[in-house]
Amino acid sequence: MAEQIPLLKSPADREAFFIGLYKKAFPAVAHYVNRMGGTFDEAQDVFQDALVIYYEKVQASSICVSEKAYLLGIAKHLWSQAYKANSKNQPLEDTDMQAEQDEQPSTGKLMHYLETAGQKCMELLKAYYYDHLPVGDVATLFGYTGIRSATVAKYKCLEKVRDKVKQNSLSYADFVE
Amino acid sequence: MRTSLNNIKAIEDHIFGYNTPGDVLVFEARMILSSGLRDEVQQQEKTYKVIRQYSRKQLKAEIAAVQEKLTTEPEHRGFMQHIINLFKKY
Repeated sequence: MAEQIPLLKSPADREAFFIGLYKKAFPAVAHYVNRMGGTFDEAQDVFQDALVIYYEKVQASSICVSEKAYLLGIAKHLWSQAYKANSKNQPLEDTDMQAEQDEQPSTGKLMHYLETAGQKCMELLKAYYYDHLPVGDVATLFGYTGIRSATVAKYKCLEKVRDKVKQNSLSYADFVE
Repeated sequence: MRTSLNNIKAIEDHIFGYNTPGDVLVFEARMILSSGLRDEVQQQEKTYKVIRQYSRKQLKAEIAAVQEKLTTEPEHRGFMQHIINLFKKY
């Protein structure tokens, strides 16, 4: 049965959403992993990655699907990718999702900067581009007076991060040359 | 908005395909003429990837915290214990 996806505005909303998904779908995923000879830790790893993929899908497209069936489907796919044949010790990092991640340009140094000095901007940009929140909700959540000031703040942050990314690329180029 | 922010918006509209066909042609012509603009487009594409990388990391941390909560908090412990028991070999 298709389910309506709630608007997840805050960490508290997401926590409630993920707890609900654990209760609905984790038992089925754990049964599957157990049947395939996996461990509890492996079931948790597979389920965590499946939740990330599911979250990105629903936030980007607001698709309405059966949560349990969808998560079980993703988890089975992840399991077959990572633990098939005799490569049981191969980590989940070798899945399609990770291949996508590997093309990310961020070095540890840049990410560390963004997580510390640039955190406020990154949270704002995350709300826009990853959580896909409506601009009015972003304005309220981050204490802006209106949609216009929130939009200007978004572009200022984007400029700031883009400059950092550029700086990072230049120093990397200097390093490798 | 100041000019540099309008430029960022224009690049964003181009990357995300928000432009009309006419605007696409004009933007592509500008890119042919300006290596600076081409570089900016490339840096901005990288920036969106960095935002996704950062966001995924934060989301994974939130999910890990939920898992920890389900394992340790008394109101959820029965649920997790039931699943752990599945994996016990008798």
